[in-house]
Parts: sequence; structure tokens; C-alpha cells
Amino acid sequence: MEIKKTAIAGTLESSDVQIMLSTGSNGFEFDLESDVAKQFGDQIKETITKVLEMYNVKNAKIKVVDKGALDLVIKARAIAAVQRALDIVDAPKWEVLK
Amino acid sequence: MAERIQDIYLSNKSTKKEWMAFLKKRGIKNFAESETKLIEQTIGLFDDQDRLVATGSIANNVIKYVAVCDIVAQNKGARFNKIISEIESRLAQLNKFHYFVFTKPKYQTSFEYIGFKTLAATEFGVILEKGTPNIDDYLAGIPRFDAGNKIASIVMNANPFTNGHRYLVEKAAKENDYVYVFVVKQDASLFKTAERLELVKEGTADLENVAVINGGDYMVSFVSFPAYFIKNTDKIIKYQTLLDARIFRTQIIKPLGITSRYLGNEPLSHTTNLYNEALQKEMGAEIDVVIVDRLEVDKEVVSATKVREAIAEGDVNKCLKYIPSTTAAYITANLDRLQLRIKKGQRIDGN
Amino acid sequence: MKDQKERLRRTMMFVPGNNPAMVKDAGIFGADSIMFDLEDAVSITEKDAARYLVYEALRTIDYGDSELVVRINGLDTPYYKNDIKAMVKAGVDVIRLPKVESADMMKKLEKLVAEAEKEFGIEVGTTNLMAAIESAKGVINAYEIATSSDRMIGIALSAEDYTTDMKTHRYPDGQELLYARNVILHAARAAGIAAFDTVFTNMDDEEGFYRETELIHQLGFDGKSLVNPRQIEMVNKVYEPTKKEILNAQGVIAAIAEAKRKGSGVISMNGQMVDRPVLLRAERVMSLAAAANLVDEEENYIEK
Repeated sequence: MEIKKTAIAGTLESSDVQIMLSTGSNGFEFDLESDVAKQFGDQIKETITKVLEMYNVKNAKIKVVDKGALDLVIKARAIAAVQRALDIVDAPKWEVLK
Repeated sequence: MAERIQDIYLSNKSTKKEWMAFLKKRGIKNFAESETKLIEQTIGLFDDQDRLVATGSIANNVIKYVAVCDIVAQNKGARFNKIISEIESRLAQLNKFHYFVFTKPKYQTSFEYIGFKTLAATEFGVILEKGTPNIDDYLAGIPRFDAGNKIASIVMNANPFTNGHRYLVEKAAKENDYVYVFVVKQDASLFKTAERLELVKEGTADLENVAVINGGDYMVSFVSFPAYFIKNTDKIIKYQTLLDARIFRTQIIKPLGITSRYLGNEPLSHTTNLYNEALQKEMGAEIDVVIVDRLEVDKEVVSATKVREAIAEGDVNKCLKYIPSTTAAYITANLDRLQLRIKKGQRIDGN
Repeated sequence: MKDQKERLRRTMMFVPGNNPAMVKDAGIFGADSIMFDLEDAVSITEKDAARYLVYEALRTIDYGDSELVVRINGLDTPYYKNDIKAMVKAGVDVIRLPKVESADMMKKLEKLVAEAEKEFGIEVGTTNLMAAIESAKGVINAYEIATSSDRMIGIALSAEDYTTDMKTHRYPDGQELLYARNVILHAARAAGIAAFDTVFTNMDDEEGFYRETELIHQLGFDGKSLVNPRQIEMVNKVYEPTKKEILNAQGVIAAIAEAKRKGSGVISMNGQMVDRPVLLRAERVMSLAAAANLVDEEENYIEK
């Protein structure tokens, strides 16, 4: 699936993560801002990558501002962002929710 | 604990007064009509006693008038993040995913901490951006010339493209291997951005080593240099020209391998003069700043202002000596449209 | 289901559904029920995001013994259908529908819940329901609402909208809520389900909070909706049984054990027959006592 429009989900508040997705042409291009980027950067990227793959997205620019979000929060925000970016907010992809 | 975000309607006079008082207390003092009338949305964070504890505004793609009450220090960061989160969410609703903020140097790190990237920092203020497409994307879209070449740059509004502009470009093209001509993106002039860009391209088509590029948000835009379009005090002009010059020096020069910048001498425009001064001071040590005397025809300097005046008067013949044939052809074909814009209130003085 | 209907519900803590910090920590305060809010606490632009956040939280976080409730968006919004599907799929204990005015509304909800259960391979009937009553019409129809479905576990008064509907607002003495409280309580008791009182929002008025909690405790409410975790301890204190109540309840339970041992069909204590209401009351007192740590493992009363 191709990203239809730029979309953002999540906030900058403590324990949250803000994810902005936009069209890309070169796989997943991450730009990550996090206090814990050194320890958890790869894990954050992996969680988001998995969600994008479940939606069959192949290319995206992904800007992430992490405020200490748990994995489940990252996943939830990634799902919200990708649903918005694919313009399918009103039709959740239930099989993605495990 | 439950602090709520609410809309602030500045059309309500007493609300506006309270809002201004809150900002003034925190060092934000510029409430000039020219600034406040650009505000599209203002939000506030209110504590459980309905006291305003943080605010921020949106003006096009710029976040403005951000202030946070820091009486309880531990809340400050949380409140700041909350208000900016909401502003970004509002911007997203408006389909704006790339935005800027000007702020005091002391807030630079607060913004960087939430994903903003600094474009330029001066002792008076800092300009940061966030979102997409950003400066990296902008630069990625510009053709590159090999390092080691002499690469000149010119930034022009070209409202419209005159023989004076042509003279400047020609000179740079002769003295360098390549020339970037950046055309100001802001749509605030008699000639629309697309028209200006096209006329520059047509007017320089024969010069093979010239690349005409849209200046984007990073060169003399409403973002980087609003005073170019809105009359302002010298102090504000100086601050803005410095920021604009610094963005060019720190963000543009290196990636594009620019070795010089050509400027037209401006005996007539006070603002442009201050701008030229700032550019020279800012980047004179790094690249050649070449100030070129204005082209004269019949002992009169060539200026776009005179062309616009001739359009207003409907007498194109009067300005033919100042413009290349490409520009002349466009004006002749579109005279009615251009005059209509002037009638509808488009100013032709200024830039 | 009996266990569902008899469980302690002194405190139902509201948690804004789009706030990760609060969603993440909701389990640490010891609320009997946690109510994740997808409705008023979430702005319309974030309904989707909150839904996914609560979904992932319900699937991932261990909230201990707390009953997990989600307040979905009303039937007059474009959001409720996806809310229902997501929450059923997440396996929430209870779906709370706001602004309920009739049994038909609950029946509509029940139908959608059953459809979602089928769609996601969950046993039909697993998801419980409750209704928030927020209008004069809802109060008038409280009993039909309370008995609208076998899945009903409770009804709650929501005073903000109710007082607006009644052309008044909330007062410290609560006179304006007296009728609604009594009607809702009677409807719940007659239907054999729980009755929840409304929230108290002025965090600075501790005295007022105690006054209101003591009133609804006296009336017979199961408990109260809360917006601040600080209030949990305060409600629990009001609901603590006295030493006398505990000793009496232990007497009842001992009498039953004694009768069982003797193989006697009739249970008596102090020359009185112990009937079902007395037994239920004793069980409730003992669970309140256990929840308040007033008895040890062997059910000995602990002096504080």
C-alpha cells in the first residue's frame, strides 16, 4: 500500500510517542528523537516497522519523537498514524489488532 | 490535575486582553496589528481553577505566541509539551505537516527536545522547523554541481524579471562555473510565484550554467524574513535579516557547494540595504559576497518598481527599456489581469 | 454471572483513553473498576487513536483484579460501532454506554456486541454491559434500562448532563440529585445489578467529597465513579464495615458451617432463621472487610 497523505498520531506528553508518516521512496527512513534512542532506538523502529509491514506499506518517511512510550503505546500510535496516512480511519483493519 | 486545552477567541476583547497580559508577563511584547492579524487559531491550557497556564497560536505554518507559566517548575515541561502537541494536532487537521517556530534562545532546547530542528540561532532569536518536507528534502530536490567549481548564488523576488536582474545573473554566470538563482517563494507580490519563476527561467534560458530554483521556505520567505513584505522597525528588520542570512550560511551554502553570493546594490530600498549589510557581515568570511552596482539605462537605475508603476498606468511602452522581451511579452498578454490585481488592492510599492 | 453481579464495585476510576501515562498506571491505585473513557475525555480528532491505545493496553497490561470497563461513544456519534468492535475484540469486561434513555438503546448495543463476539470468535454473552443515565428520560426509564439485557451489571448516574437536562446545576448539598439517585438505586436493586453514583469533580473540597460519599453509602449505592485516584482511598474508607458488622457476618457464616456439619436444612443464629438476604449481606460485609484488609487469611478481625 502506498501512503496517501502525511499523517501524525500521538502526543509529546510523557509516556507517549509522536509518529509522523509521509510518503517515501526508499524503504523506511526513520528520524528518531528520544532520550533513550541509544538503548531502545532499534526496538522503537522495529515495533513501528512491524505495524507498517502489517499494512503492506513498503516506503515511508517516519519521524518519531519518543517521550518514554511503552511498546504497546508505540504500536497503538503507529496503527493510528498508518490508518490516517492510508486514509482508512473509519475502516480499521481488524486483523492487525492482535 | 485535570488541565484542559481550550480555544481562545481573540475576537473577544477582554479575552484578548487577558491573553496579552499573560504573554507580556513572559516577555512577549509584540502585538502589532500586522502580527496579530495573521493569527488563525489560539489555544490555551487552563488549570482546574480556570487560570490560563500556557498558550500558543497558529499563523499559517508558523507557531507563534507560545508561553508557559512556570510558577510550579515541574509542570513547565509537561505543559509546554501539551500545548505544542495540541498545536501540532491542529496543524495536522489543517493538513499542515511542516511548520516553523521563532523563539527566544532560551527555549531552543525545549523545542529541540520535541523534535524541532534548528535552522538558525542568533542571540536575538532562533528559528526551528519540524515535519515534512523539511530542509533536507528541499535540498535533496536541487540539482548539484561538482565540488571544486565556482558556484554563485543569487536570491531574487523578480517582481517581475527585469534587465537589471538579467544583468546580475549574466555577470555571475560569466564570473563563475555555475549559478543558482533562487526565486522567492512567498506569494505576496503583484506577480505570482509561478509567474515570477517562469519569467526568470525564460529570461535566463540562454545561459547554460544557470539553474533557476524555487527559494522555498528558506530564503526571504514569510517565515525567514517577514519584514521583507511587511513594513517594520529597523530593529526587527535587523533581527530578521540576520536570521535569513544565517539560514543561508548554515543550511544552504555547504550542501550546494556555493562559493559566492551576488547582490544588487539597492540605493532605493532601505530594507534591502539592511539585508545586504547583514548578508555581507554574516557570510563575508565564508564566501565571496559580490555587490553589483545597479544597471542604469539612460542614467536611470532599472527597477521592477518602475515596471509595476507602468503596468498600473497601463502604459507598457514606458517600461520596455527596463525589461527583456520575454517579460514584455508576458506583461502585454496579461495586462488586464495584472491591472485587476492592482485594483483589487495588490500593493505595487515595497517589494 | 453471579460472581460478576456480586463483586465489589466501590470505586470506578475514570481514565482518559488517549493518555498513555494514565492508561499505563491505571492499575496501581487499587480501584475496583477501571473505566477507560473513549467519550468525553477524548477530542473528536483523536477518537481513533484512543481506541487503539485502549485496545493495546487491554491486551497487554495486567490490571490485576480490577474490573475493566470502557465507556464508548454514544449511539448518536459516528464512532460507537468501531468502539464496540475494538473493545469486544480486546476482551473488555464491561462496555458502558453513555446517555442511555431507553431499553431499546441497550438492546441495540447488545445486538452489536453479540455480532462482534461472533465475528471475533468470542463466546456470545462474554461481554457485560452497563448504562449511564444522564437525562430525565433516562431516570424515568431506569428500571426498563436496568432489566434490558442479561448482560447488564449496573447502571450509573451521570450528573453533569442530568442536571443540565433538569435546568439546574450541581449544588454542594446534592438535593438536585436526590430523586435521580433514588430511582436509579431502586431500579438497580429491583433488577439485581449494581448502582453507581456520579463523579465529584472539585478536587479541593475533601469535606464535600466525604459528605457525598457518606450519603450514597447510606442510600445503598455499590459505589462511586471517580476522576482522581486520590479519591479511591477516601471511598474505601467510607465503605469499610465496622467491627460489629464483621463479627456479626462471621457469626452468620459460622452458623451456616455449623448447619452444614450437622446436615441440618435450617440455618439459625441466635434463635432467628438465617435467610438468603442475611447470607448475602454477610458475604458482602466479609468481602468489604477483606478488601479493606480488616481480616486476615483466617478471617480474624484485625484491630487498626
